[in-house]
Parts: sequence; structure tokens; C-alpha cells
Amino acid sequence: MTDRSGLHAPLTRRTFLIGTTLTGAAAFVAACGTSGTGTDAPGPTGVAPTDGASPPAGEQTPSAELNFANWPLYIDTDDNDPTKHKTLEDFTAEYGTVVRYAEVINDNNEFFGTLKAPLEAGQDTGWDIVVLTQWMTARVIRLGWVEQIDLANVPTFVANLEDAYRAPDFDPTNEYHAPWQAGMTGLGFDSAVTGDLTSSAALWDPQWSGRITYLSEMRDAVGLTLQKLGHDPSTVTTEQFDEAIAEMKRAVDEGIVRAFTGNDYAEDMVAGNVAVAMAWSGDIIQKALERETLRFVIPDEGGSLWYDNMLIPKGAANKFTAELFIDFVYRPAIAAQIAAWVNFIVPVKGAKEELVKIDEDLADNVLIFPTDEMLTKVKRFKSLDEDEETYFNDQFSTLTGV
Amino acid sequence: MGAFLHRHRGSIPYLLLAPGLLWLAVFYVYPAFQMFITSFWSGTLETGFSFSLSNWTTYPEALDRYSEQFGRSLLYAAAATILTLLIAYPLAYAIAFRGGRFRNLMLFLVVAPFFTSFLLRTVSWKIILGDDGIVLGPLKAWDILPDEFRVLATPIAVISGITYNFLPFMTLPIYVSLEKMDRRLTEAAQDLYAGPWRPGGTIAGAGVGAVLAAILGFAFRLDIGPAAAVGLAAGAVIGTVFLSESFIRVTLPLSLPGVFAGSLLVMIPALGDYVNAALLGNPSTNMIGNVIQSRFLTNADYPTASALSFILMVGILAAVAVYARLLGTENLTAGRGV
Repeated sequence: MTDRSGLHAPLTRRTFLIGTTLTGAAAFVAACGTSGTGTDAPGPTGVAPTDGASPPAGEQTPSAELNFANWPLYIDTDDNDPTKHKTLEDFTAEYGTVVRYAEVINDNNEFFGTLKAPLEAGQDTGWDIVVLTQWMTARVIRLGWVEQIDLANVPTFVANLEDAYRAPDFDPTNEYHAPWQAGMTGLGFDSAVTGDLTSSAALWDPQWSGRITYLSEMRDAVGLTLQKLGHDPSTVTTEQFDEAIAEMKRAVDEGIVRAFTGNDYAEDMVAGNVAVAMAWSGDIIQKALERETLRFVIPDEGGSLWYDNMLIPKGAANKFTAELFIDFVYRPAIAAQIAAWVNFIVPVKGAKEELVKIDEDLADNVLIFPTDEMLTKVKRFKSLDEDEETYFNDQFSTLTGV
Repeated sequence: MGAFLHRHRGSIPYLLLAPGLLWLAVFYVYPAFQMFITSFWSGTLETGFSFSLSNWTTYPEALDRYSEQFGRSLLYAAAATILTLLIAYPLAYAIAFRGGRFRNLMLFLVVAPFFTSFLLRTVSWKIILGDDGIVLGPLKAWDILPDEFRVLATPIAVISGITYNFLPFMTLPIYVSLEKMDRRLTEAAQDLYAGPWRPGGTIAGAGVGAVLAAILGFAFRLDIGPAAAVGLAAGAVIGTVFLSESFIRVTLPLSLPGVFAGSLLVMIPALGDYVNAALLGNPSTNMIGNVIQSRFLTNADYPTASALSFILMVGILAAVAVYARLLGTENLTAGRGV
């Protein structure tokens, strides 16, 4: 029972096939349960913070509860009790706020659908913090459906946000979103089969025909292909996009591509079915424990960087407490506590030093704390406007056979 | 109370029907209506959707764009139905007539897979049939199969997955119709000179065997000629040995209601299935269910998703109506069809 890697794996983190197609399936429902960390606590209401560690609260006081919607397996979780999350308990201990934590997000679009009606009508969505991927973040900020964070309430966040995440095009002042976790998309391979690979051309190599998988997340698959073709995903044009689709279509038509997958490519790599894959960094860290020859590299042509953000939906009942929480998880010790469990990239300065105290090996892992050289090779995908979004998704769907 | 019911006994059937009708109205008719309305929407998630009858064009567009996936659904579902029939009939026959005291245990084993989640059962196929897994690994090691051979991510994997997942739906109705058959009818037939079925059995067996082997050969990319020859020979032997005249004239006709019910129970869910194609297929094996799922959840294209669902639903309803008309509703409920 010591190896809980299967559970630790960020399996359901991203839009992945089973997640989006089988939300009704038992296995998935089990992973989507709502858990309030304070269920067995007396539920103290309005207990004022007692130590000086809290940020200047001004006149405001923390609320009794905070409603936090997140993806499954995306926060530190007790090995013996999946409803217990130490980070959330620590927050309750400090501020007296009971965090009602719900793993209800399986797909950006799907969750957006549930937020849309109340936000349009100017009503409270019931959530104080939601976690959405950067492109969806851009969309909701553009729609004006996000509360502006009072930067005076979040000094730790302002100080500790890694520079790479500052001032994205959709929020140049960082007043509407706070990165939660990040990851890289690159080349995954089984070195026992392929030897060492450094180029994403391997994803088109007929030598491993039928043992190559692409990602079903449009931005990841297209991003890698664009870079293989020498284009920059952060400034992609429609012509370049079409070229990337044609490049992938060639591999699909020739039977080189086995499937378009979500996280399930990782299981296939462990089983030996897949030799080369478009891969997410966090997955390979976990799966290499089961099959030691699995490797992840940012290909020479470049990879992509994606990240998920905490947002406060417009009209949230507990905006101030949500800000306290955002500030709280930007404390290096708390960030390290989460990172040690979820294994994605931590966007918090100082977290590495804290993680050394928990798990030295993880702190040395370049997939959790990428080197500057790696970061120069990973690009973000451009924020798409609505027409581009529709066109890109449509073309990509057709490519994947649906 | 008794007197009251007695006076109004004409209304009793309606009272008994009420819960079912209410259930259907709330969970079937209303959502279907909602879906129909949605299919006439146009717009996007961001700007909102608006209803207009002029959006009927969504239907021909969707049909045209996804005709390939519709056709594939039909083909895979039909193939899976035939395969389940070929596997389930001998199985049900053996349980009903040769099961003896193990009959209940065998029936339990037929439904036992249902105690595990549909999803997990399908995922386990990926492990069993892995390219270097416990089945293919040794076969490749002994050079029986070429190294690049695989079952996963092929049409055969998808059809096999559907066949496996829906097998009990075919087995149980056939078993029921065989089990309640009056055995004395077979004896009477034999007394009346219903002996071995020749040459019918040999011919029927050879025909079915050859066709099946050719399909399998095609799916596995083997030489179709030799494969069909092997199937023809095997089918001829099986047909000659096992098909008696009493079976053809008595047992088979009496079990047809079960066969009809079973085919509907397999064919209908198989048409809308997407799990098998998603987990066991490749980009060219997607079925209409995969398209609906993707349109709905990934592309937020609710009108097209609704139109496709509606086309599928109406298509199935129409097919069932024709089927019921031709064969009589008692056949659908595995009642006595004779």
C-alpha cells in the first residue's frame, strides 16, 4: 500500500477521453465526489485569524465557508481518506473558514456550460474559486465574468508568482487570475524501444507506425506540430494552423497514428503498446515509476507550456476569503505540500527550497522545476478569438475522426 | 375501498400504467422534446444560442458530414449482433438443454461480468489484448504472428468489444425461449423421422463458416481465400454433425422470439455505443456516438449534437416499428411467436 502512484497520477486532470465521455461511469463518479474538509470539524464560524502570518485583512473578516471547484486529483490528498486534504485543513486552522472542496471539473467547456447561465444573469455561481485552463481563463476574463483581485489582499501572491507567468496577454496586470499548477507538453517515449529521442519528427516516423499517439487536446497536438514545422504557437495564423492539421492528417491517413488520447496514452506506454507519444510532463514522472525506460523531453523544435488558473467568478459570495486562499497557496511551504502530491510545475517562487524538505528527488526533477533552458523552448498557445476557436476546434475534430 | 375499486375497475389499468407513463414523460419525452428544440438553435456558447426554424439545415448538414460515422455505427452494430448471436445461441442451447444441475451457476456466470463496471471491463481488454500482452506476446515470441500485428486500435477490437459487452443481452432471451420449450415436441419430431439434416446442414454450415472466416480474414488482414476455405470446411463439419432436422423444424422456430428480442437488445445500444470505439479503436473507427459526444462536450456545438441524436433516435424507432410490424410485437417480448 505504500506505492500509491496510480492514485497520485494526474490521471483525470486534463480533458481526457474517459473523463469527458463517461462522466456517468462509476469509476469516474467515485473520483468526482464532493468533499468538505470540515465535515468532521465543528465548523467554526467567523473565527478571526490569530497569528501575524495572515495578510493585512483590513476591515474584512474571513467568511465561514469557501466554495472551491477543482479538477480531480489536483490537490494533496490523504492516502487513507480521499476526502481529507491537508492544505485545506491548514487553511481552516488558520482562518476558521471551512473549504467546501468539490472535484467537479472534468472539462473546460463542460464546466463553462454550468457557469454560463448564472454569470450571464449576473448571479452568484455558487463558487468562490474555480480552476480553469489558460485559454478558458482568457475567454471568461474577456467576457468580464471574473472578479478583480484586490492586490492589497494578496501580497504573497504578488511577491511569489514566478516571472514566467506574469503579464500574459489576457491579463497584463495579473489582477484577474492566479496560476494554480502548470505543465509541459512534449515528447514521451520508451527509450528501450526507440533509444534516445530529441526531435518531434519521431511522432511522424513510420518506423513506429501504429505505436504513436497524439493528444486529443487541440492546443497540445497542434502546438507541437506547429513547432515541428518551425512555427510559433503563440503567434499562430490560420494558414499555419491548416498546415499543421495537414501534417497530422498525413500521419493519420498512413496509419502511423494509433489514436488521439487524453491521459490514457500513459497507460498504453506502460503496457508497451505505445512507443512514442505527445505527452504531459506530470504523467511521465508518475509512469516512469512503473516502467523505468519511459522518458519525457521537450523536443528540440520546442514544446508547449500550459497552466491552470484560480479565478473568482463574478458575484462570488466570499471574494475576500477567496483572495486569502489564493494568497495562502502562494506560501512556498503550502505550494510545496501540494506539489509533492500532484507533481506538476509549481508557479510559486521558493517552493523548490520547501519541497527539498519533503522529497529531495522530486525537488531535483526538471519536469517539476524546469530549467531556464527548458522554459525557453516551451511556448504558450495564442489566445484565440471566438471565430478562430470555433474553426480550430472544428478542423481538429474532423482530423480526429469525430 | 374494495367496493370503490370494484366500481371503477375500468380505471385500474391506467392507474398501473401511471408511474411508468409519468417516468417516460419526465425522463424521455421532455428531454427528447428539449433535444429537438436545441437542434434548431444556432449560435455559440459565448454569444448565446437562438431558436429559428430556418436552422433545419443543421439536419442535412449533419447527415452529410457524418454519414461515414453513421454507416460505421450500422456496420459495427450489425456485425456485433451477428457475432453475439453465433456465440450466444449455442451457449444458451447448452445451458438450457445440457446444463443439468449447473444451469443456475452457468446463468450466473453469463451475467457475472455485469458486476463490474462497463468501463473497467472495456479497459481490461486493453491490458489483455496489449500488443505485447499475455495473448499476443507469446504468439509473437513463437513467430506465429508478425511483430507489427495488433488487435487494439483496429475495427476488429471495437466490434469484439461491443460483442463482449452485449453478449448477455443476447444469451438471456434465447435461453428463456429455449428453456420454456416443450421437450416432447423434439421427441415427437424424431419419432416422425426428423433425423440428421442432410445435405441442408452441411450446406448451411459451410456457407456461414465461409462468410464468417472471410470477414475475420479481412479484418485481420490475412489472405481471404485460404481463410474462407478453412471456414467452409469447419462450418461444413459442424453443420453436418450438429444440425438435425428436428432442430431446424422445431427448436429453431420456437426459439426465434428470443433471437428477435436479443438482436434488438444488442443492436439498439450498440448503435449508440461510443465507449468501445473510444477505448479500443483508432481515428478511423469512430462511431456516431463518438461524434455526438465530441460535438456536445468538446466543441459545444449543441445544435449538431442534438440533431445527430435525434436522427439516431428516430432511425432506431422507425426500424423497431418496421420490425414489430413485420414480426408482431409478441416476438419482441419473447412471447410465444407461434
